Amino acid sequence: MTTSRLSRFLDPKVLASLAALEIKARNVVEGFVEGLHKSPFKGFNVEFSEYRQYVPGDPLKDIDWKVYARTDKYYIKEHEEETNLSGYLIMDTSGSMSYRGGNAPMSKLEYAATLAASLAYLMLRQQDSVGLVTFADGVRRVIRPRTGMAQLKSICTELEQTAPQDRTDIGDALDRVAGTMRKRGLLIIFSDLMDNADTIINKVRQLRTRRHEVLLFHILDHHELTFPFEDTTLFRDLEDRSELITDAFSLRREYLRRLQQYVGAFQSALRKSGIDYLLADTSRPVEASLKSFFTRRQSVGARLA
Amino acid sequence: MPLSFGNPWLLAGALAIGVPLWLHLYYRRTPVPRDFPSLRLIRLSVEAMTRRMKLRHLLLLALRILVVLLLTLAFARPFIGGGALSAGTGAPAAFVVILDNSLSMGTTHQGISLFNTARARAIEIVDQMGPYDKASVILCNDPGTVLFPQLTWDKNELKEAVRNAPLSAAGTNLAGALQPALKLLAPVRAFRRTVYLVTDVTKSSWEPLLATYDLKRIDPSIDLVLVQVGDAAPPNLAVTELAIDDPMVMKGRPATLRATVVNHSAQPHATRLSILVGDDKKSEQAIELGPNGSKRLEIPLTFGDTGFQHVRAVLPADALPQDDVRHLAVQVRAPPRVLILRPPPDRDGKPNREDLFLRFALNPLNRTEGALFLVDSRSPEETGEVNPAEYAAVFLVNQRSLPDALVKSLSKYLLGGGSLVTFCGPRVDPAWYNANLIDGLGGGYLLPARLFKRVGNAVSKAVAYQLTDLDTGHPAFKPFGTDGSGDPGRAPVYEFYQVQPNPSALVLARMSHGLPGIIEERRGQGRTLLVTFTADTGWTTWPLKPTFLPFVHASVMGMLSRQGINAGAIQPGTPVSLTVSEEGLKRVTLTLPTGQSQEIPLRRDNGEGLLHLTVAQTDQAGFYRLRFEGATEREEAFAVNPPPAESDLERLPQSRIVRFIRLEHQAGSKQSLGQKVVAVREGRDVSLPLLWTLLLTVLAESILANRPLRLGGRASS
Repeated sequence: MTTSRLSRFLDPKVLASLAALEIKARNVVEGFVEGLHKSPFKGFNVEFSEYRQYVPGDPLKDIDWKVYARTDKYYIKEHEEETNLSGYLIMDTSGSMSYRGGNAPMSKLEYAATLAASLAYLMLRQQDSVGLVTFADGVRRVIRPRTGMAQLKSICTELEQTAPQDRTDIGDALDRVAGTMRKRGLLIIFSDLMDNADTIINKVRQLRTRRHEVLLFHILDHHELTFPFEDTTLFRDLEDRSELITDAFSLRREYLRRLQQYVGAFQSALRKSGIDYLLADTSRPVEASLKSFFTRRQSVGARLA
Repeated sequence: MPLSFGNPWLLAGALAIGVPLWLHLYYRRTPVPRDFPSLRLIRLSVEAMTRRMKLRHLLLLALRILVVLLLTLAFARPFIGGGALSAGTGAPAAFVVILDNSLSMGTTHQGISLFNTARARAIEIVDQMGPYDKASVILCNDPGTVLFPQLTWDKNELKEAVRNAPLSAAGTNLAGALQPALKLLAPVRAFRRTVYLVTDVTKSSWEPLLATYDLKRIDPSIDLVLVQVGDAAPPNLAVTELAIDDPMVMKGRPATLRATVVNHSAQPHATRLSILVGDDKKSEQAIELGPNGSKRLEIPLTFGDTGFQHVRAVLPADALPQDDVRHLAVQVRAPPRVLILRPPPDRDGKPNREDLFLRFALNPLNRTEGALFLVDSRSPEETGEVNPAEYAAVFLVNQRSLPDALVKSLSKYLLGGGSLVTFCGPRVDPAWYNANLIDGLGGGYLLPARLFKRVGNAVSKAVAYQLTDLDTGHPAFKPFGTDGSGDPGRAPVYEFYQVQPNPSALVLARMSHGLPGIIEERRGQGRTLLVTFTADTGWTTWPLKPTFLPFVHASVMGMLSRQGINAGAIQPGTPVSLTVSEEGLKRVTLTLPTGQSQEIPLRRDNGEGLLHLTVAQTDQAGFYRLRFEGATEREEAFAVNPPPAESDLERLPQSRIVRFIRLEHQAGSKQSLGQKVVAVREGRDVSLPLLWTLLLTVLAESILANRPLRLGGRASS
């Protein structure tokens, strides 16, 4: 049972293609577990950093007695500590995420869940801790970050059991996550962003201001991106079930123009704030989207965690 | 532009426009249901697109309906420009050619006569007659001539009639030509009916038609085709008026000739006006005329001979030479003889002097040479051998009674054109006057009013009456029409006769309390005037006043000048009628302006022994002379002149011509006039252009319907 759930979102092909990659935060993150991630704080372990003179208040255990023996002065030996990454996968489970276009292999939620599970697997494999937050018009479920492959099972189980429903309210979910994370960490958001663009951008910027690293996967179906409809159509909103009759054929140009504006607004605003943004087309293979993501992070000079 | 169809039953296919309508409504009502993540962007897009979408839908609907209509019309074989209901059906044609032969068509421009061009065009139209077609020709000079009262199949006869049609000196009567043309075509409904009007389209001829005739009410199945000849109006000068103001023209006495010259062009012109009497040039004057201006000239003229004189005012010939000369017939008289029938002497044998004031008024200096009137004063008894016809006027002054023979001769004299003036007085016996001068003569009565009783008292002079309500339009009182020229009403009248005017009599002046004072009536060819008071100072002081002499002169001259034919206003084509006394008349000969003479048939009137003459041959402008031969010989003359309006050659703007199909044709055009006539008559099959339009419409519909498909693309990161 567990195996089947896991195999649904953890496609071996996907994982194999990502085997060489390491997920690392672009910036130094704070963590508990020694790992590959650079810690912004000076600590006791692993790599020598520098000496400094003792000042009253420093723990006596930190005095380097060998130096004292040679110089007759008290010096404190400081180390740069490596720490593990703590991340949250923030998953939009609103009604609009249930959409699956005509030829798409999976719905937007399924696509996002596959992405999330893959990233969770990679992070857990390198000893980082990962948690999960699902939300729609409010936070639905929170799984706190933990290490170990058992956490992967919990995450996958939750993703499997979550049914898309209700409207989207990203702001509330991000507020909750920000309140939960006392230390800086990695926040990976999966959403179709069917909410007020300004609100979303502001909330994400606030997270960045708190020095969290934020990654945003904008999940859109191929039909949303191309609007290939031609008939007079009764459109039904998957979130609030409202309806609208219109001539899709005539509307296409204007719709695409407005979508371009919408996406462009996210791209420019988020990148200026140092937030990674990736538009994910559900018609593309998941591994392709992930590769695009990592390739771009490498190209901007970050060492991948 | 009329529209007809070769296959009109196929028009039922137009009902197929319901198909796109139904499809349009059907697809609007059956949308495809589809789930979508969020309608946020769609709603925003719809708001922007709604107006464009509606417009596009309507355009598509219109294009699709147009496609069906064009397809239906194309199959129905529409014809444009033909006889409205019968074009393309092969029905025979019935048409009338109205040829404008009015004076303005006499214009020659650059050596080409408009009328010759018009005749050529008319012949070209007639040439297009088919073997089963029939036609007529009407000339539209005033009053117009229908050359063929019935439609005829004989093409050669029609062409010959057009070829021989004369240019008239008369005006244009478009309505008078159009009405008989429509009347001729009205019964032949099975034919393609057309009226061709070949004219120069002058403003002066069309404006009366447009003002009085609603062309849009003409049967729409009759085509009206206008064939214009002559493009622009050439400059034209014309003599539009020639008259003499003097009521009587005397031999050797100066008269004043009045002539008006008009410049019908936008440029100033200098010209010379010559005055000719007979063939003698009497004067020549240089004239400067402003743009579209006119000049009235007063030219003194003295005639050396009596009788009717032919006076002409002549300008140098220009584009329209017919209006460069104007004719006038002037009767030059010797001093007319006037007979005064004075009252008999008083009982004591003293001669009566009541005629004294009249004699002094008519010939103040009692001259025999250079006098205006020669006066002969006789008592009734002395008139036994006198023929009243020898006198221009007879004054009957305060007579108690007259011999029967004199009464009869005066009656004849009056009917034959004499002038009788009667003054009342104390001798007048109303009963005898009414019985013998009115009732006893039947239709030949002498007085314009029946006498009743005397009013006022000339002995006591208790009440003084005055003349009021003077008819200053009448020649007798015309001298007093302007301020400062005297007022006959200032002379008191103490006694007068109350009279009852005849029904056809004119009251020229009334007494101050409203009773008639002076009355005139036309009798046969003559006139009779009654003054209800005396000609001496017995009942009034008027003979002592300075206004009496002008009144007597003007009365006599007015009566004399209005005898015969009113020669001033006769237009070409207008019949001239006159009535003459039949006594001794044997033959009347008319001499035309060309010099040809012809006898006029006489028509006898049973009532008053008069003969009626009608001169119908007045088509030419010029001087006409009538010679009366019988016991005595005498002459009458009159002049015929073209209407001044014809001299204005300005064209009517095309925008004002409604209902007519204009057939433009210039010499040297690729297509002959005949071909154009056939095109108008048969109509033009527009199926092919319609099919091309259909193709373009389908193409436009396809482009519009598929336009968004070209706008590919997707939003991407």
